Amino acid sequence: MPGVYFTTTEFLDDAESAAKDRGMPGIRMIALPADTYYRSRSTQQELQPIAAAAFDQMVDDLVRPLTAEEAKPSQIQKQHENTNIQVTGKDYQDAYQNVNDLFLDSRWADGLPIVPPTPALVKAMLAATTRSPDEVVGQVAPKNGTATVEKIAVNSVMAGAKPEYFPVILAAMDGFVDKHFDLTHVQASTGSFTPVVIVNGPLAKELDFNSGIGMLGHGWRANSTVGRALRLSLLNIGQTWPAVNDMALTGRFEAYTFFTFAEDEAKSPWEPYHVSLGYKPEDSTVTVATSGTPLVLGGGAVAPWTAQGILDTVVARTSNVVFGWVHSQTYILVLHPDCAYELGKLGYTRKSLQAWLYEHTSIPYEKLLAATSGFGHASEIDEINQSIADGRIRPDRAQIFKDALKPGGKVPIVQSPDDFHIVVAGGSPGYTLLFSYPGPNWAHETKKITGATLTKAGH
Amino acid sequence: MKTRTHWLLGAALACSSLLLAGTAAAQVTLEVMNPRGEIPPPPTIGINPRVPTLAGKKIVLVDNGKFGADNFLNVIAQILKQKYPSATIVMYPKPSAQTITDMPKWYPTVKQQGDLFIFGVGD
Repeated sequence: MPGVYFTTTEFLDDAESAAKDRGMPGIRMIALPADTYYRSRSTQQELQPIAAAAFDQMVDDLVRPLTAEEAKPSQIQKQHENTNIQVTGKDYQDAYQNVNDLFLDSRWADGLPIVPPTPALVKAMLAATTRSPDEVVGQVAPKNGTATVEKIAVNSVMAGAKPEYFPVILAAMDGFVDKHFDLTHVQASTGSFTPVVIVNGPLAKELDFNSGIGMLGHGWRANSTVGRALRLSLLNIGQTWPAVNDMALTGRFEAYTFFTFAEDEAKSPWEPYHVSLGYKPEDSTVTVATSGTPLVLGGGAVAPWTAQGILDTVVARTSNVVFGWVHSQTYILVLHPDCAYELGKLGYTRKSLQAWLYEHTSIPYEKLLAATSGFGHASEIDEINQSIADGRIRPDRAQIFKDALKPGGKVPIVQSPDDFHIVVAGGSPGYTLLFSYPGPNWAHETKKITGATLTKAGH
Repeated sequence: MKTRTHWLLGAALACSSLLLAGTAAAQVTLEVMNPRGEIPPPPTIGINPRVPTLAGKKIVLVDNGKFGADNFLNVIAQILKQKYPSATIVMYPKPSAQTITDMPKWYPTVKQQGDLFIFGVGD
């Protein structure tokens, strides 16, 4: 079926890149002028001259006979990325600078200087795991670059990570490339999402991950360089670049190191987060997820707060229908230790707290009925019915939603209470945070850290 | 004095040659590894043959659900009706607000709706 694809000038590179990635480089595209399209799209009247100006090209693209290349495009040649690079300088300092210039100018780095990934440093990184350098960890979206253990090691060296951290980085990459994790959306969406990386188990303490005051800030080598190694691995192996095929409109709010921290298991009134998922206390795990800007729900050193007040704020901030139910896949509630302590004192377990959140954030059917989707043509009810029909609401949860879509019903904002992930971290005093992911698909995975050779934990 | 100047010049030239030779010998090379992932290239597929004219055709306008796409395609539909009155316009929006979700079962249904399609607005 012949067709034509409208995009805008700001997204033409992205569209062409995606078409090539999928083996259809010849798709005919028309780029509307971004500077006028976006400010005119609210009304047909304002869009009229823009559509009229593009009309003739649209017709031409639908009737103009194909070129030979469009009909049968040449096979895209594989770019070989496994040859080492020789960089010279008049002395070591000069060569070091030239490596940085090469990597930064070639878009192989994040804009900050890198540690040159020499074979010796990469070998030292690889020695920290029993996993083979040639092992394929998976394909990294959006271009499906092949992530081998060795490629991740190269990026980890560049990030300044200690070899001891490498098994954590590998396990996190296992999560990102998991078939259930929508990495394409995270890597490319205009929504500007930031990965969240949470380390649990004895390795978190052994490697000195920060889980207290400043856990999302700078200064801790483990948090910073593990996050940066993942940043560089996703950038280089998935081959993304801002405004080319990473269309995060504002950029990501923790662009260089992601939200990387550990749970403060010692200050939690409950079992560690990974144990709640079925892992053993002696296991070490890394959880990768994604989030928009985290909400600060309460706490701090100045203003008074109560644990119940913080829970009420969670309800107030999540159970709205501005964006549509299907855009709430998971929440990560990061309770600061004092808040977790107070909730424990009130008798909450993690399970009962999840159940409370699930119940109290559910939205009355009548409120949904009155709401239109944030995306135009579908109503909230239509959205949920569609999600049931196409399986995005899991079959074992579908009946709950069908039953709720009736007068007097209350429609949950997540599929199950377990989709409220609760961890304890932060200072004392501290703030309680909420990470949320309003994406179309799943993006939350926990992986066990294995194969460590340089640490007591993580074997 | 002249002899002394010549000797100094000669000595200076000799020294500079030594320095140059020394600089060349001291060139440092750093070998670094490539951080980029290899991309298995997908098999390429050609696009479908075009139609000779839009007149009399069933034209499917696919709204991807992004804000304003419906407005834009409605304007396109109006112009099509003016310029190709014999064409049939079919509005066929994505069934959900999931603008990015891979919908392998849904996309093939587009071709059952008509003869050619116009998709927008991608961002």
